Amino acid sequence: MSVFEIFSQYGDALLSGLFESLKLAAIVWSVGLAVGTLCGILGAKFPKLFGYPLAGTAFVLSGVPVLVFLFWLHYPMQAMLNVVIDPFITASVTLAIVNVFAVSEIVRGVLRDFPDQYIVAAQVCGITKVKTITHIQLPLILRQILPGLLTTQVAMLQATLFASLISVDEIFRTAQRINASIYKPVEIYTSLGVLFLAVCLPLNGVALWLRSKYTRDLSER
Amino acid sequence: MATQQVHARSLGTLDEKTCVLSAKGITKVRGNFPVLSGVDLTVKPGEITALIGPSGAGKTTLLKALSLLEAPDSGELAIDDLKYRFPLNKKEKIAPPWPRVTVVFQQLFLWPHLTLRQNIMMPLGENAEGSEYLEHLFERFQMKPFIDRFPNQASLGQRQRTALVRAMALNPKYILLDEITSSLDVEQVALILSEIRTLRDQGVGILLITHLLHFAREAADSVVFLEGGRVVEAGGREVLTSPKEERVKSFLAMAEFAS
Repeated sequence: MSVFEIFSQYGDALLSGLFESLKLAAIVWSVGLAVGTLCGILGAKFPKLFGYPLAGTAFVLSGVPVLVFLFWLHYPMQAMLNVVIDPFITASVTLAIVNVFAVSEIVRGVLRDFPDQYIVAAQVCGITKVKTITHIQLPLILRQILPGLLTTQVAMLQATLFASLISVDEIFRTAQRINASIYKPVEIYTSLGVLFLAVCLPLNGVALWLRSKYTRDLSER
Repeated sequence: MATQQVHARSLGTLDEKTCVLSAKGITKVRGNFPVLSGVDLTVKPGEITALIGPSGAGKTTLLKALSLLEAPDSGELAIDDLKYRFPLNKKEKIAPPWPRVTVVFQQLFLWPHLTLRQNIMMPLGENAEGSEYLEHLFERFQMKPFIDRFPNQASLGQRQRTALVRAMALNPKYILLDEITSSLDVEQVALILSEIRTLRDQGVGILLITHLLHFAREAADSVVFLEGGRVVEAGGREVLTSPKEERVKSFLAMAEFAS
């Protein structure tokens, strides 16, 4: 059985798994980017109230493997609270939390280290605060943030595979189920790799393009 | 001639009796160290005041205090009709004097994501595109060959000229210049000297921090020597040629020797 035959026979199942993975990724991305950016801004603006607690939590969280965190929220925590939560929700929450802290640390770091000199230059030129934010701070901050943010989001997409281990019917679990019935691991996992390449390569391409377009080396010589 | 008309129109008329940038009893403390201790200084429209002194004298701090980028701890500041008394009340909001007072810093502070042209245009808005005065400045400072480069694609001298032109294009009434000739060759220094004299003749008040004594001698109408956050000697251009204070004499002698 060839990879092509796998696609023709099990294409619907694989695409349905892929759709589930992308749905999970979309939730993780949107929550992570929205809440993470907000937390990052608050952390930079109010270091004592938000910044240090955020940095401390992110530091601790970075020492816990995503898989362990996912399992912990899925099994022990739900047992302790005596609740049963849909694995898709558990996976979404776990990965979203990881993404929120990753994004907030990127945003907080860039905001905290933003050189005051550019704002001072705008002040002495009589530029309004709004124009300073929109025309000077935001473009410079986006250029700083973009590479790290894109890399993190591609990594989060790949991390959605862990959801298979708590029975979320995403693409990896679908591939495992097909393999359990026909036992063709080489063809099936190659098909999985091809599907992931088809999704991740364009994303990485977009990331590279954005990087080359907007993150020109600005350092003065 | 056309250039002169453009200048005159853009600057408007100045009433020299009411216009002055003056500081009285300015103090600034950082940590436990007094950086400025009761400094009095006046910058008059149509005059160039050179601020000289050794490194760490408090020159840049004074410049920041005069432009209200760093509010003094105590003292009084008057910028034409704007009066400030320090320390400010906690709830007191002050009207910033920019760009009536503007600053060109030694480090230049150009926005790195914008070309040199965009750096100059940004504070002015799109309406200023193609203005006669700007074209004159680009021409005068020989900027056309590099005006569309980004700051990191330009030499230090080119960036220095851009920072100066950005400030000049704002038509300030007072312009505070911090070591603006530090990276320029002799021709460029002469060009800048000529331009700031033109500005002075148009009624702009200029405060010039410089370590180039010959530049100060050529440019300054008045001179202030600052050391340890205090004014050691102040007066006309004669402070540079026949100072009264021993400390100023020895500083000038060392500076002459070094140059």
